[in-house]
Amino acid sequence: MYFAYEWQSGQAMSAILLAIRNLPFAFFMKNSSFVSRFNSAKLFLVLVLTTCLGLSISAQAQDLKGSAEAGKAKVWLCSGCHAIADYRADYPLVYHVPKIGGQSAAYIASSLLAYKKGERKHPTMRAISASLSDQDMADIGEYYAAQNKSSPINPMK
Amino acid sequence: MKFIAISILFLASAGLAFAADIEAGKKLAAERNCATCHGPDYYSSIAPTYPRLAGQHEDYLYYALRSYQVETNANYGRKNAVMGSQAKGLTDKQMRNLAAYLASLPGPLVVKK
Repeated sequence: MYFAYEWQSGQAMSAILLAIRNLPFAFFMKNSSFVSRFNSAKLFLVLVLTTCLGLSISAQAQDLKGSAEAGKAKVWLCSGCHAIADYRADYPLVYHVPKIGGQSAAYIASSLLAYKKGERKHPTMRAISASLSDQDMADIGEYYAAQNKSSPINPMK
Repeated sequence: MKFIAISILFLASAGLAFAADIEAGKKLAAERNCATCHGPDYYSSIAPTYPRLAGQHEDYLYYALRSYQVETNANYGRKNAVMGSQAKGLTDKQMRNLAAYLASLPGPLVVKK
């Protein structure tokens, strides 16, 4: 799926720029100790690779152009858990379901895709994401990314 | 009376022993270079596909870290190259400390319909 997408030179360029941006950090860490030197070298490599992958995913999502307005009508399933303050889920490991208002749009879309593909196993989220198209995921991502402390309550809840 | 005093003391010390250590979490986050991807403030991630962490629920952050450790678990597993290698070296206590630190930071996350 990722590889079907054709890279444009601009996106390749920003991947390289991001990698270069992290270079001083890797060298800075080099001086501290053996352990962190090993970690930062490894992390740097992984970073370059995943930044490229991440950009290709986000570029793909951008291709779809998510719409917060369209997302408004698609979040009714999400709000059953994620809109309830203090809502907790799962047993035996009980935890608050994550806050997703104000989260990054591309992260929400890529997480939903990870549930759909089975890379993330949470049964409820897998069941919900199975019913979503790539366009739905992009719209839901944009909708939640647009939320903040003063944004109005969704009238289509 | 003595019994009550002793049990209160015992319960209080047990509470202290299990409380997550925000300072230790801060130190660990720096050691593990979390900010390289998630941003120095833990919400300005370097790529849009990386999540904002600052101010997220503490117990969820702990759950998420754990899920990368048990990546094939049918209920909790998460498979991710970067987070898998980052989380697998952590002890339970370290994950709790990290979660407490990240949850204590100010960030843009909200609960909204």
